[in-house]
Amino acid sequence: MKNIIWTEWLKVRTYRTFWVMLLLAVIIPVAANFFMANLFSNGDLKKATQLMGQPFSFPDIWLSVASISSYTSGLFAILLIILTTNEYTFRTNRQNIIDGWDRREFVYAKLFWLVALSVLALVVSTLTGIIVGLSYGDTSVSFEDYRYIVYYFLQVLVALAIALLIAVLLKRAGIAIVIFLAYSMMIDNVVSALLTRRFGRIGGLLPLQAGDELLPVPLFGKMISKEVYEPYVYFIAVLAYICLAVYVVFRKMMKSDL
Amino acid sequence: MSILSLQGISKRYGAVQALSGVTFDVPPGSVFGILGPNGSGKTTLLGIVTDVLKADSGSFQLFGKPGNAMQRRSIGTLLETPNFYHYLSGWKNLEISASIKRRGADDIERVLKVCGLYARRDAAFKTYSLGMKQRLALAAVLLGDPDVLILDEPTNGLDPSGIAEVRGIIHDLARSGKTIILASHLLDEVEKVCTHVAILQRGQLLLSGAVTEVIQRNDFVELSAADNQALSALMLRYPGCNSAVISGSSVIATFDSYPDTAAINGWCANNGIWLSQLQLRKKSLEKAFLELTHTSNS
Repeated sequence: MKNIIWTEWLKVRTYRTFWVMLLLAVIIPVAANFFMANLFSNGDLKKATQLMGQPFSFPDIWLSVASISSYTSGLFAILLIILTTNEYTFRTNRQNIIDGWDRREFVYAKLFWLVALSVLALVVSTLTGIIVGLSYGDTSVSFEDYRYIVYYFLQVLVALAIALLIAVLLKRAGIAIVIFLAYSMMIDNVVSALLTRRFGRIGGLLPLQAGDELLPVPLFGKMISKEVYEPYVYFIAVLAYICLAVYVVFRKMMKSDL
Repeated sequence: MSILSLQGISKRYGAVQALSGVTFDVPPGSVFGILGPNGSGKTTLLGIVTDVLKADSGSFQLFGKPGNAMQRRSIGTLLETPNFYHYLSGWKNLEISASIKRRGADDIERVLKVCGLYARRDAAFKTYSLGMKQRLALAAVLLGDPDVLILDEPTNGLDPSGIAEVRGIIHDLARSGKTIILASHLLDEVEKVCTHVAILQRGQLLLSGAVTEVIQRNDFVELSAADNQALSALMLRYPGCNSAVISGSSVIATFDSYPDTAAINGWCANNGIWLSQLQLRKKSLEKAFLELTHTSNS
């Protein structure tokens, strides 16, 4: 594994696109959190907010940060798509095998990015929570309800697993990014809404929707009463989707011509 | 033990049978040429051996064992086109190859110098010319001084001096006892270095084995004198000579057995014809190859 991580590091060390994308993927959710905290801490909005709780004080800050950050997990997904489809564009997926990686090791290399980027999202959101909570909240640091950040981590993992699957199946950066965005911004939501209308709460079990169900919209989410499963159901569903996506990626990589 | 042993390798792409039941062995220390026109399945075959393609049926062994990643690390392979990260320099690309091969970066300088790329080592791969890309691919092959090399069209895209250099490198490697598997449609490229050969046509193995056994190449003598008519007539009377044809400014004579040029020279002198040219020649592999593939066509 050390060899795989070192080799992947050599691939991105001086790759400008990688660093720019990474910077954006980190800065944008942090900035969004500060922006929202700032917005809801001034003037009339502050009074309105206080009627419904204190979203930027501990412990509610964790749900707020998780929820706001979850809108930007696509940035990490696009980065993973670029890193993966690059191998196909440059045909280095072949070269890595020719040079002496097992096909399995090639998949591990991409799974390393999946995990590394998700952990980065976890760390960034945790730090953001602490800093925003201390700057805008009225309470001292508390890790009560930190589970929402863990849900967010899980949601990033599933988004990246879907992104990796799309990248491996489509092999071209442009089309893979378009399909991923279409899926994450529309298809998953629409299908979920249609299913929910016809069959009830089962519609919430789609991959990205299941993650969303774990992260109710702060302030308003708690007031909308809708029929849902217990959180562990969504938790298991998300884990199952991650496993399924990784399994299909492995199957595809182990069997097909490169 | 064979370096590479293939048994009944078949591969189909849709309607095209790229390889059908190809079987042969590459002995250690040989320079093994895989010959065939474009689209005959050479690259597909080497792709299967390096695990970038999956055979439909058949099996192969490298060093007597089923192929695996560890063996590939000890083989230098150039398959089809140079595959590198466009945004990285030549040097950094080789660092990646070295890392995957579990070797240190200490050999990179040497291979870049051998391939004449050292001066451009820090330029991005995408700025390289076609020939330079091919040179970098060769440098990657030489990394770590492997004992077995697989070269698929190694002179692709090179200029004449580059082709000569690459041939020189292959010659040196062959002389130092390395096993080289060389796929090419350029027959003179193969002719100059190969000890063994396998000939493919439309996915079928026509024949394989040591070059001397596989291809009957009758040696012939090219000679000329002031009067080629008289020379031709004289040669037909020479014992063992079965033809003497005037071709351009010289006479081409063929023989039942290996021709002795000294005896021929003496024979002509004794009969009053002084040779201005006397040269022992081999039928080119190209001619032999065309005859072979032509026979199988009809």
